[in-house]
Amino acid sequence: MSDTATGTPVSAGGPTASKHAPTEHALAELLAANGWVNPNVTVTGAASVGAQRSTLLVDIDSAGQQTRAVAQISSGVIAATPATVEAAVIRLAAAEGVPTPRVLAATDSLPGSGQPAMVVSHEPGLSIPRRVLRSVADLGTGEALAADCGAALATLHRRDVSSAPSDLDRLRLDDPFGDYCDDLAAKLDLLPQPHPAIRLGVEWLRRHPPSPPSSPTLVHADFRTGNLLVHEGRLSAVLDWELAHVGDPMEDVAYLCLRTWRFGNDHLPVGGFGTLRALRAAYESGGGVWRDDAFAWWMAARTAWWACGLAAQAAAFTTGLTDSIVLAASGRRVPELEYDLLNLIDPHHRREP
Amino acid sequence: MGDQPTAEALLEAMADTLDRQVVPSAVGGAQHAARVVANLCRIIGRELASEPGSGAAGDLEAEVWRLLGSDEPPDDVPPMGQASALSTEAVAALDRALRSPDPQLLDAALPLLRRDVERRLAISKPTYLEDRP
Repeated sequence: MSDTATGTPVSAGGPTASKHAPTEHALAELLAANGWVNPNVTVTGAASVGAQRSTLLVDIDSAGQQTRAVAQISSGVIAATPATVEAAVIRLAAAEGVPTPRVLAATDSLPGSGQPAMVVSHEPGLSIPRRVLRSVADLGTGEALAADCGAALATLHRRDVSSAPSDLDRLRLDDPFGDYCDDLAAKLDLLPQPHPAIRLGVEWLRRHPPSPPSSPTLVHADFRTGNLLVHEGRLSAVLDWELAHVGDPMEDVAYLCLRTWRFGNDHLPVGGFGTLRALRAAYESGGGVWRDDAFAWWMAARTAWWACGLAAQAAAFTTGLTDSIVLAASGRRVPELEYDLLNLIDPHHRREP
Repeated sequence: MGDQPTAEALLEAMADTLDRQVVPSAVGGAQHAARVVANLCRIIGRELASEPGSGAAGDLEAEVWRLLGSDEPPDDVPPMGQASALSTEAVAALDRALRSPDPQLLDAALPLLRRDVERRLAISKPTYLEDRP
């Protein structure tokens, strides 16, 4: 999303009338269908450099009122949750008390282009990792932010999943960890090249399942530095809900602590800004149940998953689906994740995360 | 003997130019792309400077084939790439064996794969290795 504490969008929109006119028209049509009166949409800038979708800053003019908003439009290179399902999950999480942007409109097929799209309220704060970590270090709020994350996750995981959208992915209850390993193996099989280090990790995980959760919960599944909007050093909104599903709550807690999301601040396991003690204390006092064995298992499992994700981004480049140099470069980041994965499962290399 | 400067020297100069002149004046996605390209220049420079099959990973190919129950690697297997000490065939054979491994294979393959990963990481991001105890 945008980094608005600086007061300027990340990328200036410039003279946008010609370039963005079809998008502005399509978004206006979407908003009109969602009850906005004669909305006029102006794209004011591009907010993020996301690989899967473009995120635009927009001004909505409707019934004499100006509303700043953010439009997320999927590129469609890698399939994701339908935007309407993502919107339903955000509304559920917000109703429970998780800080999120407000959903203004969502569609699985934007008029004209047919792309999935969602328009959400513009919230203040930073999301680009290097800026977030610098700001938090300057303000000295790392532990408070880790506690914010623990509290937000505990709130999300409290949510009764019976009311979650029925088309959300659900981990199989009889064998959740074997099910997850099957998914990882299937991802590996789809890659154009074999990755024996990841394969070894997946087969190790299959043979070392942790204790199961007492009950499945709503899981954000991409809860990490970069998807957290941070305003004045504190959590202001949780972004990017497209991977949300029903599963093991420890998946979320572990993912926030992967080394890859510390952006070089390796000594601060929680997102590169906080300690496990602060995260865990807030999570437990919010009603979350912390399971050490599941935390360790999901650290390795989610590291394997992101290794597959980076390899898939590189494959999208090598097979000609994209010409993005950023996605191409992801292929050279795979060894980092493989290295972390082997460290996490190697009994001769066990250390605190 | 090719023309000067060498490929390695040019890649380093390309990375420095992007970092010092392009990144500070670019914004948003263009700035991010410039950073990524500068980093790729440095990766390619390290890859060009590395010698395949040398150093700690030297005998890795033979060790992988021994682990898989074959005394000799197949003839004329080309290395998978400068960064890896393993041939495409060895990587594929190891991956196949690891699909339904016995516990001994998992234990025995881990240190071999660690050596290959560390070798590739020494090229793609050497600072990442510095956390080793």
